[in-house]
Amino acid sequence: METSGRFCYEQGNVFLEASSLSKVYRMGATEVHALRGVDFQAHQGDFVVINGPSGSGKTSLLNQLALIDRPSSGEVYVEGTPTGSLAEGRLAEIRKAKIGLIFQTFNLVPVLSAMENVEYPLLLQRIPRNDRRKRVLEMLTEVGLADLANRRPDQLSGGQRQRVAIARALVTEPKMVLADEPTANLDSETGARIMDQMSKLNEQHCVVFVVVTHDPAVSKYGSRHVQIHDGELIEPKREEAVYGIAPSSA
Amino acid sequence: MGLLLPLRNLLRNRRRTLLSVAIISLGTALSLFVLGFFGDSKTSIAESQVQQFGNLQLASERFWDESDDDEVLLNPAEFQQATAIVASHPEVVSSTPQLTLSGLVAAGTETRAVSALGYVPGNDALDYANLVVSGRALEPDDVAGMVVGQSLADQMVLEVGDVLTLTTTTSSGAFNALPIRIIGIYRFSSEQVESRQVFVPIALAQSLRVTRDVERMVVRLRDEDLSATSLIRDELDRELAAAGLTVQGRTWDELSVFYEQLIGFFDTIFGFVALALSILVFFIILQVLTLSFLERTREFGTVRALGTKRHELFRMLLLEGGGLAVFGSLAGVVVGVGLAAIFNAVGVSWQPPGTVEPQTLAIRLTGSTVWLPLLISITATILSSVFPAARASRMQVVDALRIV
Repeated sequence: METSGRFCYEQGNVFLEASSLSKVYRMGATEVHALRGVDFQAHQGDFVVINGPSGSGKTSLLNQLALIDRPSSGEVYVEGTPTGSLAEGRLAEIRKAKIGLIFQTFNLVPVLSAMENVEYPLLLQRIPRNDRRKRVLEMLTEVGLADLANRRPDQLSGGQRQRVAIARALVTEPKMVLADEPTANLDSETGARIMDQMSKLNEQHCVVFVVVTHDPAVSKYGSRHVQIHDGELIEPKREEAVYGIAPSSA
Repeated sequence: MGLLLPLRNLLRNRRRTLLSVAIISLGTALSLFVLGFFGDSKTSIAESQVQQFGNLQLASERFWDESDDDEVLLNPAEFQQATAIVASHPEVVSSTPQLTLSGLVAAGTETRAVSALGYVPGNDALDYANLVVSGRALEPDDVAGMVVGQSLADQMVLEVGDVLTLTTTTSSGAFNALPIRIIGIYRFSSEQVESRQVFVPIALAQSLRVTRDVERMVVRLRDEDLSATSLIRDELDRELAAAGLTVQGRTWDELSVFYEQLIGFFDTIFGFVALALSILVFFIILQVLTLSFLERTREFGTVRALGTKRHELFRMLLLEGGGLAVFGSLAGVVVGVGLAAIFNAVGVSWQPPGTVEPQTLAIRLTGSTVWLPLLISITATILSSVFPAARASRMQVVDALRIV
């Protein structure tokens, strides 16, 4: 899984692309435009931080990019494949194989232990038991929770739960991790530790990270910074924003 | 993959699992209890019917068509031929002739219509000696004498030793009457039989009817399994027809209209009880699972977001329902068998209408009293989990994740 960071910055290696993405919610007669024609690209190795105030459309954008919601118009491409016309089952396949998700509220399955929560995506991929257990323990060790593997979520602190969620997102070696306010429910010290860990994983595993947050402390970890406001994306020119300030060189 | 979540949910949501298992097991145990009760009642009634009719009876085809002239009787030659054929069947233990007379019995100012059954006292196929509770049974040497039912004796204020006049018609249609001494009083499970049926030696019945013919042959079979009777009847029918005899058999349950009606009634009642319990279990489990799945909507959204497909989630939830169904139904069988054992040990008795003695109620446990409630409960529970499982698995991922 160890990959040189340089490989990740090769130009043209676009993993994810959103084109003219719009999302409209209807609340009775009222239409709420959560996203307004968003164009977005994430290259392999990117650590994209999407900032914006509450209600700006951050989570709506992340849901579209994670393929767990469908846009009102526009298209999301994963490795060049348009996903708009794909059936639900095929989208689930893509999520299972290529995307790791980290939720603001951790979303661990309460009846499963930390180890079983991390193991679950590997079960979906039908990885053999021995290999599965080995990878789960490696991942839990990496996030510093090997000794708490048998604890259930309600027996873990908020930071520990979020680290389990990170381990779960990464255990399948996804090409992209999407994180929604990963530090929102954590104290600042734990939040910083979690972000350090994600940043380290981005460097070591060359995984695309797209993190939406309104926490300024998270922004410093991004190799790219994107602002979202009223459903519109505002991004500095790519050559200024991306290639000069990768966290590894900061 | 499919078993981890269902198993963990069943084992770790203990209160919900125990509640569901308790409801399902209660429904199963009640079904088993009711079915076992009906099973025992059916068996008791079947045994009493065999006691009354024998395993099967043979008579001329026209007799079964309910013709009442003397042409329906079997003459001595036909009877002898039929007896030889019947006796050669390996399942037949013995057979005996019978002749029934319809007539009136009179004592003083009291008269009652009766059916006088003439039989061979002391025969091995169907003797009524064990029914006698007062006086004595008919014996092979008796040329006269009558055994009457307790109910008839009560109605006509009769005792052993009293003389009744039995009036009937001969084969040619003339009246014939004979004073006959009561030598015994019998009891039977049916008050109607006790009031209507009297027993006389067959020789006496033949002399009253002025004939040497007999009406039917009662056959006793070796096999305890009453359900095999119709098979043996068919074999005997074929053999008798091959010998040129126009004789046909009727099994004990075909002869007893009462039994067929009662079995139909029991089956209807059990069907109703099983349906009511199944509907009850169905809706309670539906409610329990619907609420449980609703509470876990976010969990379902999460596993879907991780890549679980709709049908995989549906299968997992159905497995959870299936687990409840199996645990609950098996627990219900254990509870039901336990309750039945306690009930049988206590020995509750009840006197059904139209019977002469209280009967001990019992729960008869057989294969069908166990597997049928088991099957019904498992089916009802699995069906009840289909709808909530389908609804949970069809939710949009993003909508499921929004629910806290």
